[in-house]
Amino acid sequence: MACNLTLRIDLDSPVPAYRQIVDGLRILLVNGQLTPGSELPSVRRMALDLGVHFNTVAEAYRLLAEEGWLELRHGRGATVVNRNTPAASAAQVADFRRRLRALTAEALAKGGPAAKLRHELRNLADEL
Amino acid sequence: MKLESIVFCVPLIIVAVFSQFLPLFTRRGVFFSATVDPGFPQSADGRRVLRSYRRQAAASSVIVVALAVWLTPHHPRWAGFAPVWLLLAGLGISYWRKFREVHALYGVRKPELRQADLVADERKEQRVGFWIWVPPFVAIAALALYLHLHWDQLPNPYPVHFGLHGEPNRWASRDWKRVYSPLLIATAMNLVFVALSWVFARQSRRTVMRAITIRYLQVMIYPVTFTFVLISLLPVWPQSPLWLGPVVTFSSIAVLIYWSYRKLTSPAASDETPDPMSDQYWKAGIFYYNPSDPAIFVAKRVGIGYTVNFASTWAWVIVLGTLAVILLPIILLRHPHL
Repeated sequence: MACNLTLRIDLDSPVPAYRQIVDGLRILLVNGQLTPGSELPSVRRMALDLGVHFNTVAEAYRLLAEEGWLELRHGRGATVVNRNTPAASAAQVADFRRRLRALTAEALAKGGPAAKLRHELRNLADEL
Repeated sequence: MKLESIVFCVPLIIVAVFSQFLPLFTRRGVFFSATVDPGFPQSADGRRVLRSYRRQAAASSVIVVALAVWLTPHHPRWAGFAPVWLLLAGLGISYWRKFREVHALYGVRKPELRQADLVADERKEQRVGFWIWVPPFVAIAALALYLHLHWDQLPNPYPVHFGLHGEPNRWASRDWKRVYSPLLIATAMNLVFVALSWVFARQSRRTVMRAITIRYLQVMIYPVTFTFVLISLLPVWPQSPLWLGPVVTFSSIAVLIYWSYRKLTSPAASDETPDPMSDQYWKAGIFYYNPSDPAIFVAKRVGIGYTVNFASTWAWVIVLGTLAVILLPIILLRHPHL
């Protein structure tokens, strides 16, 4: 496991804390910084460090376990497990496209140059 | 000035001197418990606020020391604790007023960023240096064994109270309670130190303050044990250099204060896991109240150590339990019919 691996969230963000934890951990899982066998901090420890309610972290871990990334053990936190990437259904692909369109439209509306956006999206897809 | 007056005034003077430097014992970007620009304390306004607080603190201190000197011959029962509480109240009010001023006029809003380390070994960090704690307990056990083996050579009646110059002024029949009580008190205090370290390691965030506080407890167990060992030896070794106890204790505290000041104000410290930054959680700049934070203990914004999260039920259990442990023996001693 890589050293100095940290998860950072912003409580001022409109995105709920549990969703930020899920998104932050999923990035680390997808790009291989968290590998199978890695142990995540216990719910209590992570909730203390982030200053959020225990249920917030427990909910984030539960969602990632449902996606097949984590195995949860009572009182021991969570362990990253081998996961076979499932084939996305047509409905899921449509949902991703809708969300990506919304995000891209927001970026363009705020003045983000289209060329740079295209470049960033390609880079992100390759990187992850 | 009588010796008793000096004894009562010395702690007040120590508190008064410490209060002058207290606002400096804080993280970068925090001044009088309010979140400010890191450069603000060095600005003209920052220096003016600090000067104003120091004048108020000095005035409170002078008044309270004068009161202690007057109370000692006239109302000796009050002289021991009333001035200390008055001084703490005066300093608290001065600090609170400065918190309000800095927060209202110079405070800044910082994003509520939180960070968790994903790779730290929890089990390892919760051991909190097992072997550092062992020698004081071994020393206490060794002295207890020595006293047990030389029981017949211990004086009987046994001196149980000593004057300011170390001369015995009260005796009682020799029994295990009298002989071993200093060692039992030392053991109890040391166990409290160990328990606090364990609790801080488990129930607080990984911050520079946690490292500092646990180091304080690990170091202070040694002079505390040393002092009680000297007290325990006094009846069998009247020439015991009892004065060395406070000297070693205060020297250790002075070194620790300097070391922690350097650690706390270093630029690296401000990059560590941030404690909740928003001033809204700090009532009067001193009391932490955040219902959404599961932490029972949080690093203080000023000074060294921890305060409790008053929104936590467990925090109240700890505070009231501690008060009960301190006050119950005093009440029972004063009112034995209870």
